[in-house]
Amino acid sequence: MTNEMPVPDPAGGGIAPPRARRVVLPPYRQRAARPRSVRAREWLRQNLVPSPTGTLLTVVTFAVLAAILGIVAWFIFSYANWRVVTDNRWLLFAGGFPHDQEWRLWVGLGFVFALVGASYGMWSSFGRRDILFMVPASAFGVFMLAHGGAALWSTLWFAGAVVLLAVAYFACRRVPREHGPGRTLAVRALSAVLMLSVPIVFMVLMAGGGADSDELSGYLLNLLLAPAGIVGGIFVGIPLAVGRASKLRAISWSCTFYIETVRGAPLIGWLFVALFILGDIIGGDLIVRTMIVLAVFTGAYMAEYIRGGLQALPRGQYEAGHAVGLPYWRTLQLIILPQALRISIPPIVGQAISLWKDTALISIILPLRELIGSSRSAIAQGEFITNRIEVYVFAAVMFWIISFIMSRVSQRIERSLGVGER
Amino acid sequence: MATEQTASPADQAAGTPEDIIVVENIDKWFGDFQALDDVSLTIKEHEIVVVLGPSGSGKSTFIRCLNRLEEHDSGRIFVNGIEMNDDVRNLNAIRSEIGMVFQQFNLFPHLSVMSNITLGPQKVRRMARQEAEALAMQLLERVGIPEQAEKYPAQLSGGQQQRVAIARALAMQPKIMLFDEPTSALDPEMIKEVLDVMRELAQSGMTMIVVTHEMGFAREVADRLVFFDEGAVVEQGTPSHFFENPQEERTKLFLSQIL
Ligand SMILES: Nc1ncnc2c1ncn2[C@@H]1O[C@H](COP(=O)(O)OP(=O)(O)OP(=O)(O)O)[C@@H](O)[C@H]1O
Ligand SMILES: [Mg+2]
Repeated sequence: MTNEMPVPDPAGGGIAPPRARRVVLPPYRQRAARPRSVRAREWLRQNLVPSPTGTLLTVVTFAVLAAILGIVAWFIFSYANWRVVTDNRWLLFAGGFPHDQEWRLWVGLGFVFALVGASYGMWSSFGRRDILFMVPASAFGVFMLAHGGAALWSTLWFAGAVVLLAVAYFACRRVPREHGPGRTLAVRALSAVLMLSVPIVFMVLMAGGGADSDELSGYLLNLLLAPAGIVGGIFVGIPLAVGRASKLRAISWSCTFYIETVRGAPLIGWLFVALFILGDIIGGDLIVRTMIVLAVFTGAYMAEYIRGGLQALPRGQYEAGHAVGLPYWRTLQLIILPQALRISIPPIVGQAISLWKDTALISIILPLRELIGSSRSAIAQGEFITNRIEVYVFAAVMFWIISFIMSRVSQRIERSLGVGER
Repeated sequence: MATEQTASPADQAAGTPEDIIVVENIDKWFGDFQALDDVSLTIKEHEIVVVLGPSGSGKSTFIRCLNRLEEHDSGRIFVNGIEMNDDVRNLNAIRSEIGMVFQQFNLFPHLSVMSNITLGPQKVRRMARQEAEALAMQLLERVGIPEQAEKYPAQLSGGQQQRVAIARALAMQPKIMLFDEPTSALDPEMIKEVLDVMRELAQSGMTMIVVTHEMGFAREVADRLVFFDEGAVVEQGTPSHFFENPQEERTKLFLSQIL
């Protein structure tokens, strides 16, 4: 986004442009103010029935849409037996998580909600669309999570998490929007917590008598693995991107070798590496090994996107950094990377969404039971053997929700970074 | 002072104390193209040197060698008595004495005007934030745009951006300022506001090396003009020598084309 270039400023030394010949138009709204019915008819004519062919296309499209909607509605309300999902909610969401440690899940949820609220308050603000999304999503969440005899408690916990979100949101709205010492401090603190959020959630779930790592499964496992892979991937990708652009051949060749090797094989192959080869070499927990592989895998892609951002910057930015006395590394840290990362946000988010969906592959080859694995367990109980479609539709919707949120957030970020861009 | 310790005895031989820049026989090659051919030049403190020459004659390459944005291949360069070589401490010491202003401004587009200026003082000179901001405001007043402090570079006109770039360079409190065609990317009506700032800077006693095609500025402000062609210094002298009585054929040809 470019801002209008020369901003004539009456107060400063800027040369005042000749103002005499400015044409004054009536305000836009005034010209647009025609009766609502006229405008509606106009809109209909332009967008739906512009010509005989257009009208035909509109009719056909609506017919197809109606048919699809009808089938979906019939499936949801008549055909499907949702008991396979509702009876198995705990299995699908939390898998083998010990029941007596349930509070840890709620505390984790509260922490994540607080971070969401804080981030919104710091960098954005809730609009009507966000509310429109959040109200049904919360209702759905309560419905899914409030199970059996503990329904009241689950609802209370969930409500508590929503309250935390709101509190964090309004607290961060109080931080001044303009640049200044107060804002810098708040942004740094929030960024640090965001960066550490994955380990913090793990601590909440596991530390001091919590769940064992082989008890982490279901949707919860997807929600833990994907952020670890994404955040880890960015941290792996930045040095790789910088290294690939290095003047030292040994470094740039090693980075290129890494990137091309990792991108040369599919994720499934690397997951096998986590299971067998890494298992023999470093051993340790399978979940940790999987996270390492996800980070290593994503890192190679992130590196290429970040390198694209680095290359988009003119050489003059490095030179200006050196000219004000910054050494190479400081120039990189303060001037080059902040700009390169901004440019690469859209592909980075694309990769994040892709990794999020790829976590569904994990239980195909690893003995880890993420949502798809839990779905299979749910079906495998003899009672629900005919309800596989329902479970997989549910799983698909659960994947879609997070993907949708990520792509909206990416649009938000892009739009709000418009300020100050060249 | 650290800068004096890094200078070897041989360095002291180079020039008298008021010779702030000493360039001895430097060559610069880009592949098999020779961009600088045995260039030697000595610049005194407080001197204003304007570098002229046709396009591709090596003017930019020459002044970029002075703060090592380009590395010279042979010959020696001393700035403030410090030799420019592979020693990073020397390089940092030299760069902190030299400010540079580019044709394309090269402001940092992700930082506000204020942060553009305070970055160097804070991160390199380790100045406290308040102090750096006070200094920045003072410099913005000096270049005539104090009201633009909170804007981003893309919100300013070209002339305002270049004045911010000058303020940014001055914030490091350099002894020497390099200008590489500072007005060439500007619309005509903005050239004057930048030249005014440079004129004021020259009067304040700054040592300046300016590559420019602004002959009026050169005639009025320069102590010495240096004419480059094909990577070599062809002729140098005072403005009156240059404009009224040039000796070399190539100089005469060049002046006849641009005047
Ligand atoms: N990085 C580079 N690689 C290869 N050749 C270069 C490089 N930089 C400059 N040159 C060449 O060196 C010569 C001198 O360039 P330089 O930029 O110093 O000229 P100049 O006198 O500043 O010209 P202008 O007035 O057009 O800015 C030119 O022929 C140019 O093509
Ligand atoms: Mg040039």
